[in-house]
Amino acid sequence: MELRLVRTGMILASLVALAAVGCATAPKTPMMGTGDPVADRQRLMKNVGANWADIQAKVKAGAPETVAVNAEALSLHAQRIPTLFPEGSLTDKSKAKPEIWQKWPEFAAAAKNLENRSATLRDQAVAKDGAAVTTTVATFGREACGTCHTPFRVPPPQQQPAQPRS
Amino acid sequence: MSRLARRFWRLAALLLLFLVSLPALASAQAPSAAELARGKYVFGATGGCGCHTVPKQPVNAGGRKYDGPFGSVYSSNITPDRETGIGGWTDEQIITATRLGLRPNGERLIPVHPYTTFNGMAADDLKALVAFIRSVPPVKRANQPKKISVPMFESVFLPAWLAAFAPRENPPTSVPSSGVARGEYLVRAVGHCGECHTPRTITMATDNSRFLAGNPKGPEDSEVPNITPDKTTGLQWSEEEIADYLGTGNKPDGDVAGGLMGEVIEGTLAGYKDLTKADRLAIAKYLKTLPPIKNKIGK
Repeated sequence: MELRLVRTGMILASLVALAAVGCATAPKTPMMGTGDPVADRQRLMKNVGANWADIQAKVKAGAPETVAVNAEALSLHAQRIPTLFPEGSLTDKSKAKPEIWQKWPEFAAAAKNLENRSATLRDQAVAKDGAAVTTTVATFGREACGTCHTPFRVPPPQQQPAQPRS
Repeated sequence: MSRLARRFWRLAALLLLFLVSLPALASAQAPSAAELARGKYVFGATGGCGCHTVPKQPVNAGGRKYDGPFGSVYSSNITPDRETGIGGWTDEQIITATRLGLRPNGERLIPVHPYTTFNGMAADDLKALVAFIRSVPPVKRANQPKKISVPMFESVFLPAWLAAFAPRENPPTSVPSSGVARGEYLVRAVGHCGECHTPRTITMATDNSRFLAGNPKGPEDSEVPNITPDKTTGLQWSEEEIADYLGTGNKPDGDVAGGLMGEVIEGTLAGYKDLTKADRLAIAKYLKTLPPIKNKIGK
């Protein structure tokens, strides 16, 4: 009986120690993707695009105050953008331009700009200020997305049709 | 001569002087606000003459580098600075350079400046454009010399190429005001869409038999999309979606324009985004009338 207790105690203590060591040595940045930065950022950008398409559709449908959830997603995604562009992470599949790392402060500022504008859009939607949302959305593409796409991304060669909305 | 006669002749001389100087006074007259606004609109319809501006640097001050098979050229300072820009040129000289590619000294421009395309611009639009360009603040920045690596390029090859291969747009007698004709004018001449979106022949002239069918090796090595209405390789957006894209940069799939297209939509002091909805729809309508050409760009 005592031996069983000691053995159980030792197993529990080992698990606690293992968990403690794991926590202490875990990477500081949260790992939420595959570890392949090109695949991860392309997946993130697809989601950014889906949210942006949804925002525009909602505004066109006359429901601008419902875009808060999408704008929040954009703001959160924008925070992750700089972490998904480790220096030199270019492959054949990547459309990123080397200028990203040559002008890193400008690139980081563009991501911050997206984060801030998305947060503004979210706040306007939360405040049910439909007119403000509509005004922000009118220039959001060019001023929040385009300021990064124009200098830092190779444009896709084929124009894609609209995604069917679920 | 009597005193009266002397006074008469003095008055007559003054009157003659006034009449002689009338044309000069008229040409020196400042353009009206309406003409400047029209010029700014045309400037936007060209994409903001963005080739003449290095991003984030003074507008129209030139210095942007373009590489070609002939060597490298830098865009010119087209601000009204008298020393380094075009402040000393007459309106007619600026228009001649824009549409015929000839400097006041007779030197021919390298057709990176698409003068064979801008030749299709209407005279009234060009005059308004020049008036607006003159209103932009002058910037003192010397033009960088071109670096031509092909022997006899300018003396032999270029004139022969212009005569034999380069398609040239023709100016309309008046500016088309609406519909497909307006769209065609904006696409073919002012917007110079074919310069990037039309594939080029082996001589580097635009292959207008495949107008706007995409260019796998466009400016700055970009792959430029096929925007003919081909069902599998072309542009399948609705007219409304095309007009929205030109005004906002937003694509129907949630993506947003970037690269050179992002630049011309945004423009500098004005861009495609400043075109009226009617003009953007006219462009879309015209694109829908193009013969669909199968030409897959990219993988």
